[in-house]
Amino acid sequence: MQAFDCAIVGAGPAGMSAALALTQGGADVIVLDRADRAGGQIYRSASSSPLPDAASLGPDYAAGADLITRFERSGAKHLAGADAWHIGDDGRILFSYQGDTRELHCREMLLCPGAMERPMPIPGWTLPGVMTAGAAQVMLKSDAVVADGAVFAGSGPLLYLIVAQYLRLGVRVAALVDTTPRRHYLDAAPLLPRAWRQVGQLRKGLSLLREIRAAGVDTYRYAENLEVIGEETAKGLRFSISGQPHEVSADTVFLHHGVQPNLNMTRAMGLAHHWNNAQMCWQVTVDEFGQSAISHVSVAGDGAGIVGADGACAAGRVVAQNMLYHLGRVSRTGRDRNSHADLYYLSSMKPFRRFIDCLYRPTEALRLPRDTETLVCRCEEQSLGDLRAGFEQGARDPNALKSLTRCGMGPCQGRQCGHVVTGLLAQWRKESPDAVGYYRLRSPQRLLTVDELGRYNTIPAEAAK
Amino acid sequence: MFRSLQSDDHNLITLSVNGRSVKARKGQSVWSAMAVASEVVTRKAALSGNARSAYCAMGVCFECMVEIDGLANQQACLSRVAEGMNVSTQVITEDTEADAGL
Ligand SMILES: Cc1cc2nc3c(=O)[nH]c(=O)nc-3n(C[C@H](O)[C@H](O)[C@H](O)COP(=O)(O)OP(=O)(O)OC[C@H]3O[C@@H](n4cnc5c(N)ncnc54)[C@H](O)[C@@H]3O)c2cc1C
Ligand code: FES
Repeated sequence: MQAFDCAIVGAGPAGMSAALALTQGGADVIVLDRADRAGGQIYRSASSSPLPDAASLGPDYAAGADLITRFERSGAKHLAGADAWHIGDDGRILFSYQGDTRELHCREMLLCPGAMERPMPIPGWTLPGVMTAGAAQVMLKSDAVVADGAVFAGSGPLLYLIVAQYLRLGVRVAALVDTTPRRHYLDAAPLLPRAWRQVGQLRKGLSLLREIRAAGVDTYRYAENLEVIGEETAKGLRFSISGQPHEVSADTVFLHHGVQPNLNMTRAMGLAHHWNNAQMCWQVTVDEFGQSAISHVSVAGDGAGIVGADGACAAGRVVAQNMLYHLGRVSRTGRDRNSHADLYYLSSMKPFRRFIDCLYRPTEALRLPRDTETLVCRCEEQSLGDLRAGFEQGARDPNALKSLTRCGMGPCQGRQCGHVVTGLLAQWRKESPDAVGYYRLRSPQRLLTVDELGRYNTIPAEAAK
Repeated sequence: MFRSLQSDDHNLITLSVNGRSVKARKGQSVWSAMAVASEVVTRKAALSGNARSAYCAMGVCFECMVEIDGLANQQACLSRVAEGMNVSTQVITEDTEADAGL
């Protein structure tokens, strides 16, 4: 069977930028994304916004439309609505497309699965009405749907961005409850002078906060002890500031405290991962060209460690050069020359990243549950107390705990509970997350029906031409 | 309360959510159509029977699993509305779970 030169999973900034560089280098490329349109998280629907005034989402969003257009004209074959659920180290990818299972083969494989929001297991986080701030953004960008009078809680640039976007569109915001602790400002201050090289990025962040304050939204700072109020559905948020209790009523509560790489694809392949202590998350182990221990498998963008949209674009181009080198379409010196500027940019961004990671470092109080009844595993309804009992019965690593309690065995395949379980076990064992480890994952990475598997199709490489 | 910022009436289709007839825009996700119609309960948790709703809206939490046209375990946030579609809150108990696919 004939194989594609390159298959890319994920048409976000990383995947699109890589596809552009690869097609320019003469490779035939296929790009799979489960979304209906290219763009990824940041540029979701940027070229086809349902909003009456998409400019209100900001200049970054508008810039995405240009990248999408260039990607769509690049000659790369884009399969929109293709959900990859098995990535083989033999160059085989299985995916669902229009209700069928399809298969393709490639020589070089690039995974750009992006990031997801860090779960925030506070009391009441499973009540209807509680969503992530990213969910608010997805609904806004894809469907122009908003929630009036919602409370936003947590910390980090994406939280402030969606609040500002809501305000520009005239959507009422009940309150912004900022959980960034006072001491983080002190910790981050010494990192500021070096981060100043990315002054544009810093200005953007500051102007969002000014915009929110100027709009007169109730803003609470240094909030702790968050708890969603409500029995059947969310009724609001309770929290304290310097020991003083506060309450905000709202039927929608949006939570956010940063993003973490989507792990399931790289984990199910059995690639090595390590704990990133600055970003408090697992990330796949790759070299500076994004190449994993399996030389024809590379990872780029937020899926390989959080770098943001500009970083994801640069990383995509760098990885593409290395893949062209593998394919014999560029020499080693050509690869190094072509990726020099992007590698320099990626390393110059590091001080800024360090500053942001330090300032918005997720607090333990929001990363790990504190009440025994709070659910860790939303799918199998396993609470902190259930997991502690399992640990005391001898389940000392994530897989043992999974077999004993079913935590992580549900349809989300540990996406929501995985980091929490690593964190809890590390705390209980008084050992590092690396020593504790993570769930062993396998394909398929999504729910499949036998019916779907019954319809099986192969996509030959000629399809790209 | 969720609402749509789009005011025009073009491209509207009709689907049924828990037996209620609901209008939605072509191309819209099933979840956001449910949200605008105030039908936010997507599933009942298998053990406790507690109501759940979409959490991430981007395909990674699986809280939005609904039944669409008789098929269980469909992620409402990743599915698109269609004319005449039948959506209902998914109730899968511990006993019926085994039949629900992989
Ligand atoms: C909800 C959310 C909203 C965000 N909004 C912003 C924002 O407004 N501004 C900003 O600066 N940053 C935002 N970010 C941060 C964002 O991660 C980066 O800025 C940037 O989008 C990263 O680019 P990427 O190409 O690495 O990944 P992404 O843009 O996340 O793209 C990954 C793509 O892979 C696809 N994918 C994943 N798994 C599969 C699979 N199994 N099969 C098929 N396709 C798959 C996804 O559909 C997605 O399109 C957001 C993050 C999240 C989680
Ligand atoms: S809402 Fe999380 S998967 Fe659909």
